[in-house]
Amino acid sequence: MPAEKEKRIGVFICHCGKNIAGGLNIRDLVESSKQVKGVSFVAENKFSCSEDGQQDIQKAIHEQKLDRVVVAACSPSLHLMTFQRCGEKAGIEPQFVDLVDIRKWTMHGSPQKTNPEEAFEQSKSLIELAVKRMRLKRLIPMAEIKAEHSILVIGGGVAGLEAGLDLADKGYNVYIVERLPTIGGKMALLYKVFPTNDCAPCILAPKTAYANIHPHITLLTNSEVKSVSGHVGNFNVNILQNPRYVDLDKCTGCGECVEKCPIKVKDEVFSAGLGERKAIYIPYDQSIPKKAVIDAENCLYFQKGVCRLCEKQCPTDAINFDQKANSVEIKVGAIIAATGFDEYDPSPKSEYGYGRYSNVITQFQLARLLDIDGPTNGQLLRPSDGKEPKRIVMIQCVGSRDEKANPYCSNICCMYALKHAQIIKEMVLPKAEIFICFIDMRTVGKGFEEYYRRTRELGVLFIRARPSEIVQNTETKNLSMKVDDPEIGRLLKLDADLVVLSCATVPSSGTQELSQILGVKLDGYGFFKEMHPKLRPVETNVRGIYICGSAQGPKDIPDSIVQAKAAASCADSELRKSKIKIPQSLVRTSQLKKGDK
Amino acid sequence: MKLSELGPEFKTEVMSHKEAEGLNLCFACGTCTAGCPIHEIFYEYDPRKLAKMVKLGMREEVLASPYIWYCTTCRNCEQRCPQNVKFFDILNVLKNMAAKEGYAPHSWIEQTKQIMKNGIIFSITEELKEKRRALSLPALKYNGERAKKILKLTGIDKVKDQGKA
Repeated sequence: MPAEKEKRIGVFICHCGKNIAGGLNIRDLVESSKQVKGVSFVAENKFSCSEDGQQDIQKAIHEQKLDRVVVAACSPSLHLMTFQRCGEKAGIEPQFVDLVDIRKWTMHGSPQKTNPEEAFEQSKSLIELAVKRMRLKRLIPMAEIKAEHSILVIGGGVAGLEAGLDLADKGYNVYIVERLPTIGGKMALLYKVFPTNDCAPCILAPKTAYANIHPHITLLTNSEVKSVSGHVGNFNVNILQNPRYVDLDKCTGCGECVEKCPIKVKDEVFSAGLGERKAIYIPYDQSIPKKAVIDAENCLYFQKGVCRLCEKQCPTDAINFDQKANSVEIKVGAIIAATGFDEYDPSPKSEYGYGRYSNVITQFQLARLLDIDGPTNGQLLRPSDGKEPKRIVMIQCVGSRDEKANPYCSNICCMYALKHAQIIKEMVLPKAEIFICFIDMRTVGKGFEEYYRRTRELGVLFIRARPSEIVQNTETKNLSMKVDDPEIGRLLKLDADLVVLSCATVPSSGTQELSQILGVKLDGYGFFKEMHPKLRPVETNVRGIYICGSAQGPKDIPDSIVQAKAAASCADSELRKSKIKIPQSLVRTSQLKKGDK
Repeated sequence: MKLSELGPEFKTEVMSHKEAEGLNLCFACGTCTAGCPIHEIFYEYDPRKLAKMVKLGMREEVLASPYIWYCTTCRNCEQRCPQNVKFFDILNVLKNMAAKEGYAPHSWIEQTKQIMKNGIIFSITEELKEKRRALSLPALKYNGERAKKILKLTGIDKVKDQGKA
């Protein structure tokens, strides 16, 4: 084998102003780098990423005839692309430009706090390793693949729908997979939404209805993603369509089957446990698709082999008890995870008695009670005796900002508490007294402070403190609690007919499983982790997989929409080039995997 | 009250004790105060307020306060604290500092003396003995020696009544 031509490697050490130069001796680092095997040129820049810095690098590449470049500056996640583009402009293959982060050694708090010896030694060895890597590196052959012109959106809530519709309008074939029998997500169940108090289903319906008829959208309800393989531009997705036992093409949504069904069960999903539904049911009037579904766990036929009343009643013969789970294979170019959130179950906060005291409910349950199309047709009746509550206490930050539950702020709870207080005062029980016990009132958002003001105008009382526990009167089921109001400097004994807990927003169930299927990392709280918290909020560690809405962290509707559009835009930028360049090895491994199955 | 007359040293001193580290995390939600059985009777005893007073450096007022000795040690405050601030432990730090500076209340010192003498907090009077006899309870055995050993290990026997409190 002929001896390979010796590589000409250039090392460029960045001062980053004083960020690096303030914490270690750059001159020494330049000298030590000159001694590393394979290095033929070393220079320093005040700011390597600046226009001047990049021009200096390009000039050196030409003058010194460099064919590999190592930049010692900041994190590759921040600037590797910058220097690869810079090198490419001067004729160097991007793969032969490397960036090592020496800034982390001088930025422990501040360069002044740095240990200069440690910073020097660590930086020196990082540069040595990078030079060695570049010296030995062979070109990784890239493959050009044809990108699928289709997208998978996981989650049919407002974020998923927005992303899906954006992409479908751009001409992509979009598959929206929803675990429940209807799309619409949590938003459909919120009755009204802040800060405008529009009817939630009304402003959501244009999206659900359009998704339902869009020529480029395929809705897969009652379905779950089971496996994903492949890579950007070419993902193979396996989806399990759970049986509905109702033929979607035949069912007209007339509801005659529902009327005849003899089995009533608590509706945990669409009425938050406060209402009932039948064993065959249509989730709600604006369900999309508006088709019946059989809950086999409670259906008499599936449990005891009798009944089949729905089948007899159905005018279009849509009931099909033999329907089986159906496995669907699709190919997509990109995936958007919009799996949303769940409300935190406050039972572990036993001091507030949720689950033990019938008149302690959550805000999501309150939203269902206030909904004129909800389980009580909008009447606010307390669960213990069906009477109207005269005094309502809301407690904020239940399970949020809590080191023993979820340390983060759930973002939306202040606003939905204000929303429910407004609805009660304006429309439902104007005479009811409402107290909101809070730690901090966070109304950051366009029109949100005005919303808080409006709530105060309506006479809602705010107490900047929280009760430690709630005690229930066993006979009347009334609740009492003590709150130390710091403004008046007195301990208030609050008696209430109804207590509403503003519970934390947690990742929706199944997020962990899905993260493993997708290979997308989760953050410390179990939400999907973005590539960069500020600069790349909807990209993930897997190229071609994006996240949006509350799947990424607690979020209100305006922010979810913004992220959905951002995720759609990212997917579009990636797929609109009909050919995508990826390492050949990735194509091979993904094909291997496919063959293994 | 002038902030310039206070100063951060007191907080630093309190927080140099490992068990008081969480003090800075308090965001004054008042859950501790709302659940405190002593606060309900003596409004002046207020965990949330004490935490802020320490943070502001109100050394004299905190250490000389008779109320810091009122805690029943029920630990409701730290059990319910969403920020995991160990107020009970912070209070112990404050009590130790107060005792060192001669603020331990007379009654409290007398009580520790009783425990070292009798093993229980009450003095064993003739009246008490009679009561127990009437209720057919066994006679109390003098068990102060063991209590004394334990208490001496804590250094509590060195706390002197300086008549400040």
